[in-house]
Amino acid sequence: MSVLRPFKANDLFRFNNINLDYGITFYLTYLQRWSDLCFTQESPRGRLQGYILGKAEGAQTEWHEYRRLSLARNMCQRLEFASDEIYKGYFVDLYVRCNNALAIKMYEGMGYSVYRRVREYYGNLGVGKGGRDEEDAFDMRKCLSRDMAQRSIRSNGRDMIVSAHDVS
Amino acid sequence: MSEAALERQIRPIYDALDHGSNKSAINACNKVLKKYTNNTLVKALKALALTRSQKVEEALVLCDEILAATVTDDSTLSVMTHVLKGLARNSDMVAMFDNAFKQQPQSEELGAQTFFAHVRTGNWKSCQQVATRMHKLFQGDRYVYWAVVGAILQANDLGTPPNIRTLLYKLAHRHVTSCPTPSYMAVDRFHLHLIILQELQLWDEANTLLESDIGKSICSASLVCNETRREIWRKRGLYKDEGERAQERIKNNDRNWLEFISVIDATFASMQQPDVSEEEKSECSENIAKTRDFLTEIAKVDGSNNRSASLALLELEKNAFSHGISSDESTLVDSMENYFSQFGDKACCFEDLRPCVDLCADAKLRWISFLASQESSFATTGDLQRVINVRKLQRISLTASELSTDKELYLTSTYIEEYMAGLELGSSLPVTELQPVDDLAILVGHAFVSLWTMTKDESYLYNAAAVLEFALTKSRMSFQIRLLLVRIYRLLGASSLALDHYRAINIKQVQNDTLSHFLLTRALTFSLSATGDLTYPSECIESSQIYVSNSQDTPDFIIRAFTSEKYSQIPEFVSFDDRLENSLQRDVVKLEHVRMRMTHEPINSDLIDMELIELKFVFDRFHHDNRDFGMLPNYQPACQPSLNDQTLMFGNSTGQGWLWYFIKIYIRAFQHASDLDDIVEEKLLIGDRPKKSPEPEVQLPLRERLAIRKPEEAAELTADELQLMEWATAVSDWLEPYHDYTRPPPAVVLAEANKQNELRTGLPLRGVDLKALNGDANANGHAKKDEDAPPVKEPPQLVAQFFEHMHARFVQLQQSQSLPSDLLHVATLTQEAFLLFAVESHRFKTASVVKIYKLGALVQSLKDIRSKACTVLKTMSNDLLKIAEVAGSAERRKSFVESCKPITDFPELHHDFVLNIAKNVGESRKKVLEGVGKGMVKICTNYGQ
Repeated sequence: MSVLRPFKANDLFRFNNINLDYGITFYLTYLQRWSDLCFTQESPRGRLQGYILGKAEGAQTEWHEYRRLSLARNMCQRLEFASDEIYKGYFVDLYVRCNNALAIKMYEGMGYSVYRRVREYYGNLGVGKGGRDEEDAFDMRKCLSRDMAQRSIRSNGRDMIVSAHDVS
Repeated sequence: MSEAALERQIRPIYDALDHGSNKSAINACNKVLKKYTNNTLVKALKALALTRSQKVEEALVLCDEILAATVTDDSTLSVMTHVLKGLARNSDMVAMFDNAFKQQPQSEELGAQTFFAHVRTGNWKSCQQVATRMHKLFQGDRYVYWAVVGAILQANDLGTPPNIRTLLYKLAHRHVTSCPTPSYMAVDRFHLHLIILQELQLWDEANTLLESDIGKSICSASLVCNETRREIWRKRGLYKDEGERAQERIKNNDRNWLEFISVIDATFASMQQPDVSEEEKSECSENIAKTRDFLTEIAKVDGSNNRSASLALLELEKNAFSHGISSDESTLVDSMENYFSQFGDKACCFEDLRPCVDLCADAKLRWISFLASQESSFATTGDLQRVINVRKLQRISLTASELSTDKELYLTSTYIEEYMAGLELGSSLPVTELQPVDDLAILVGHAFVSLWTMTKDESYLYNAAAVLEFALTKSRMSFQIRLLLVRIYRLLGASSLALDHYRAINIKQVQNDTLSHFLLTRALTFSLSATGDLTYPSECIESSQIYVSNSQDTPDFIIRAFTSEKYSQIPEFVSFDDRLENSLQRDVVKLEHVRMRMTHEPINSDLIDMELIELKFVFDRFHHDNRDFGMLPNYQPACQPSLNDQTLMFGNSTGQGWLWYFIKIYIRAFQHASDLDDIVEEKLLIGDRPKKSPEPEVQLPLRERLAIRKPEEAAELTADELQLMEWATAVSDWLEPYHDYTRPPPAVVLAEANKQNELRTGLPLRGVDLKALNGDANANGHAKKDEDAPPVKEPPQLVAQFFEHMHARFVQLQQSQSLPSDLLHVATLTQEAFLLFAVESHRFKTASVVKIYKLGALVQSLKDIRSKACTVLKTMSNDLLKIAEVAGSAERRKSFVESCKPITDFPELHHDFVLNIAKNVGESRKKVLEGVGKGMVKICTNYGQ
């Protein structure tokens, strides 16, 4: 629960407790192209809690949610709703660090499943404490109503490994 | 040669430009220009290459040539767009496209480009006019909406008076309603329509739109339209309708908090007006009961999965009491207790309950004893979170009578104990995760800071630093811990440690604007730039990069939003651009950089002229304060100032008032030292002038503005800074007549600039008609003036005695065991005064000036002041070096560790760990004290004569 509202350019001044990893152009590109897929979550006491930026890929056939920066079920639901209703997509997908067990569990609870593992999606970190799981990402997907045959998902996703170059 | 051959020659120029080899691009251009002397495209390409290699003067000459003839071909126009953007000459760009569009009024593309050029300059009135013209010429609905946005943005401009604002919205409304396709064809058009209706309060029309099937369906799918709809409903006072609608949505599992707010608002709708009848009161009372039932039902269903309904119940009881419907707060406390029992294991619980804890005596007593009855357990992270929430809620409720050093010391050990007890729970988390116990360490920090403010004993800050450093070893990503350490280390004068922590937070992008105040506020205090260490000046420059990328990128996105018809985004983008472009912090950092720059660069006319022009621009801005102070948590008792206020160095931050005071000091000093007057400045200026603030004060003549002093602005200065301000004003008043009398006339200055320019570029200064300016003045320097020279006066007492006064202050601080940051503050301000004095007396260093104008006596007074100042600076420097020696000594380390007695009993915070912190703090302090001291001597050597 929280206030779910559109992400606005001026929110960038307030996202100091949340990752703000990209340049102005990154955020403005999303807002200028897919403003209806960009949401932010504000606590009842006015603190910004997270945001989600979605993007529609291709000719309204599929689309990707890209940067998940806070655990926010509402935002995912909203995103699924918007992609279903507005963009008529087949599926929703998101990327998550392979060692982020908490988030993966949460997404699974929301109906997402692993579609593939993307090697070095978060860059090559060298052999550190986190190892491979820290630099690889799971591409997790959930079918939308249009994909009635459930062709956008598969059960053995964790074994399907692709390199970061192969995903856009 | 044929067209094709020419094209073959031009392609390599583009290639060279693409690869950044500007030099070869210029050569290639020159080669082509030999044959085709008048080819504008090649000229434009050369101008681009010149601009990119910083040869601005030459580029400008070419630009003038190109723009003299009307350019209409696409390639040249597009190259010129880049050139003029690079030179910040947006007004030239506007003129270029205006002319081109006039020449070829049938070209839709040129029309659009003209429109975009106006967007870049933020000239919304012209935008609206161009768009209207485009609609007449090319039809196309989008141009109607471009005009609408133009009108709305013009209306929103700060300088637009209210009656014109309404007129513009009416114009926008006419545009929208006269458009052949209805606005609901596109969400963003629909949204624009709603905004206009909202502004003009055309509720009937809004109702028709929103109640139509298509309107309803748009609002259910588009958050942005629904947001405006909600606002319109509220403005119309339709709380009850909205409440019912919200209840429906909640029943359908919508848990957006906005829906719950609507339900609460509807409950108290009858209490909105000033005079409430008994009847309305009882109606409200009934409503409360109904809403309570509704929310309780939802809360029961949701359980601990969702806290919306429970939180709404809290809001309900709080409002019921504040509106006088319920007579006591016992039901509120009931709800608070329920809420805590259910959600106490969530981090947000504290934030949720905080607005409710301001209770009356009895209720408070009950609440406090409820909190005290909570048992501490560390079995799970949920239990730990409960402990943390209890501690926070207890702490903010402490009263002044309960607070004592003993109490706080007791609390610190409780917090540390519990911190250590809970640490185990997060041991398996990856290093990138925050530890669940972090907040207890932050509470320790709060208590020690509070102890420091009560006693002024800095050893409590050592304790705070040690515990927080320990917590960081467990949770290296905690920015809150680091920010608090930045504050504490700055207070302690351990500036390099503050810098390390600030850098470790990894501030990015817009955060450079919102958070750099943590490090760069009054950074001159710690800057070692006089000794050649440019750490702080580089931090200033780095943090300012965001403004460059904003002005380069954001306007493009505003334009893209027009082409993709994302109208809902445009006002936001425009305001975002404006807030960064005219950011207060941007200019505070700019001024801080100027202050540091003076300590390590030679003070000459290049520095003076450039900074004068830039600071005058800054002085014309309407600033936005984007600084975020909410990043430091605050769990201090309500009877105390916030943690943020307690830890601000020198007790306050540098806002608009500080900026205005310091900028007045510097503009005035630079004005005196500079030969630039308005005529010369106009001629030498390259880019456009920034947009001027519409504030009435800004419209006053500069001279008057510089003399304005306001108590609320002065309140942002420290006592010592105020001294500096008074002194600088007295110096300026004293020396102004001599500067004005001896400053060479504009003709002479321009002739000199012309000469320099010819030496540099081989070209005369553009746009300067020397002969016309010259008149009868002979251009060879200092002509005697007709009026008499102002008589040389003795320096005012304030001016003469300032440095002794500052010295006395420095000695007094040393004797009163003050913080090193306070000592450095006085020392660096004294040094700053000395440098300002060097600026003010710069003109009178030229022997010929002194001789011609018979200023010997004046120069003698200047010399006296300077030599006294030098003595003071050298003494201060000597003292600082001595203090530095002590700060880095083993004894000091030992006493640091000894004063950490309150914490060293905990085995984790053992002697060696604390000793290491002591060592780091000692070394850091030594470095800055020594560096500032040495820098002062260096400055004396440079300007002492």
